[in-house]
Amino acid sequence: MKRSSVLTEKNRIKWATFFTILILLPVGLSVAGFALSRGQAAEVFLEAPDPRWESCYRDAEYMRFHHMDLLKEIRDEVVRYGIKGGITLAGCGDCHTNRDQFCDRCHEAASVRLDCFGCHYYPERALDRELLRVGMIVQATQDGR
Amino acid sequence: MESTELPAQADSVSLERMKPRNARASPNGRRPVFVDPDLQFIRALSRSGGDSLKKCMQCGTCSAACPLSPDSHPFPRKEMAWANWGMKDRLMKDPDVWLCHHCNDCSTSCPRGTRPGDVLGGIRQQCILHYAFPRFLARWVSRPVFIPLLLAMPAVLLGLAIRYRDTLGEALGLAVPGEDIIVYSFMPSLPHWLINSFFGFFGLLAFLAAVVGLVRFVRGVKKSEVWGDDPRPVKGLFPSIWSVFIKVFSHDRFTSCETDHSRSISHFFVFFGFIALAVVTLWVLTGPYNPLIRGEFVYPFSFWSPWKLLANVGGVAVLLGLLLMIWERLYFGHLAGTSSYFDWALVWTLFLVVATGFSSEVLHYLRMVPHRQVAYFVHLVFVFALLIYLPYSKFAHMLYRTTAMVMAERYGREAGTHLKGVPYAGEMTDVSSGAAGGTSADTGPVMADSMGGTGSLPPAGNGGST
Repeated sequence: MKRSSVLTEKNRIKWATFFTILILLPVGLSVAGFALSRGQAAEVFLEAPDPRWESCYRDAEYMRFHHMDLLKEIRDEVVRYGIKGGITLAGCGDCHTNRDQFCDRCHEAASVRLDCFGCHYYPERALDRELLRVGMIVQATQDGR
Repeated sequence: MESTELPAQADSVSLERMKPRNARASPNGRRPVFVDPDLQFIRALSRSGGDSLKKCMQCGTCSAACPLSPDSHPFPRKEMAWANWGMKDRLMKDPDVWLCHHCNDCSTSCPRGTRPGDVLGGIRQQCILHYAFPRFLARWVSRPVFIPLLLAMPAVLLGLAIRYRDTLGEALGLAVPGEDIIVYSFMPSLPHWLINSFFGFFGLLAFLAAVVGLVRFVRGVKKSEVWGDDPRPVKGLFPSIWSVFIKVFSHDRFTSCETDHSRSISHFFVFFGFIALAVVTLWVLTGPYNPLIRGEFVYPFSFWSPWKLLANVGGVAVLLGLLLMIWERLYFGHLAGTSSYFDWALVWTLFLVVATGFSSEVLHYLRMVPHRQVAYFVHLVFVFALLIYLPYSKFAHMLYRTTAMVMAERYGREAGTHLKGVPYAGEMTDVSSGAAGGTSADTGPVMADSMGGTGSLPPAGNGGST
């Protein structure tokens, strides 16, 4: 077999150093990040537990792993069988007011694309929720209820 | 060469006792050698790549061609003699077998078509089998009949661990709901603590087994003949470990090979890719206890996280290196060497580990819910086969070769100077094998007669004429 001109006796140390540095790069970044953020409080990644959590549909552990299944189940109930009155995204927004902390941070970190908000609206601020409620009342009045 | 004056049933221990104690006082200054051919060993060696063994006529071309062979007690000529005489004891103690990097410069320059490189590969396999503890596991790993059993064991154990995870967690006091700082678990039925303790337990067993094997190996190698009568260390233990570390990382030995030079590139890729994967795995496994990780540990990583990038690049590197290895072994067997089941087992296990790992990742991105977990389970079974059977498979070369290299470094067993300034030793091979083609037919039967004592194998009559 022909002798390689890529990895030779002369440049092997360079290649090995290059690959070793490449491997140690994430470790270095982590150590540097740790050293730089010394003294500061650890970043809180998740939203702090809401005191009203007991009124949630299920406990936090279940919701963390299975909320997507739950949402799909409820979507099917509403869209296909017309069963309303379950949980809604607006309902989630009542307690979890911050969409960035509640949805986006985790989803971004885990590279999971969210496709809820292409159609749905997440009521983030108190004013938004108020407007939404007013809008729903107006809608209900127009429907003649 | 036959040991007719010795009792037929004499084992190696009694042979050791029968050696004269005052050997150095013998008239010609040489120790007498008692040969008790281990026919079973020769047969096993022939099966594991050394089938050309009996063609050897002890001309020594191989030792002259080898770029790694030291000037004193050079290899592989003496190993070929010992293997032909079935001197298993000496071969198992021999560090030189492990200094060989199987580049086949010797095999292509042999005038009789013997393949010392492949024979040494076979001896290394026998060495792993010899020193392994418990030995039956090594025997299982070296035979394809046991593939179903070897894969079923981790599958059943891991399945049981998942099935009884609550009982296990309570018994070990590990499963504390809500205390896990991992934000998202890839597979809720296989929590972080369960993987850690499962692989931690079996990894510890494998580590202890490897230590037993290595201690046996070091004890044996210390008694080897190659060190001479009065071996003295020329280097301290830690300096020799450091220089071996540099040699292994820079593939120093591989790059001085001629014939199968591309082996150095494929091994380079697999080596660094595997180290990258090991570093990422250790980082993830220590996640919940790692002081460098602040706040919660988000897992699985984002695609552009430095760790995920390193893991993907490492996986691709291992895959490329493996494909190069497989391609070499399939289409350039005469250069890359005969591949026995033992060799293929490691290549394919590593390939399956990487393939199932990537398929689990892709299925995860596709959000296929039972599929990604099933792929991950299969991946873990192969990871078990790779890591826990390490002391018994060809992967053990990592332990034995490094140890032998450290000992050789410590006792000054450097690669010889006989090839310095000869840039392309491989080019000489055509000349020598072509010229020797005619003479080998004459020497063949002579060798066959002299080797007749070992009996069971067909004498190498016509194999030498290329």
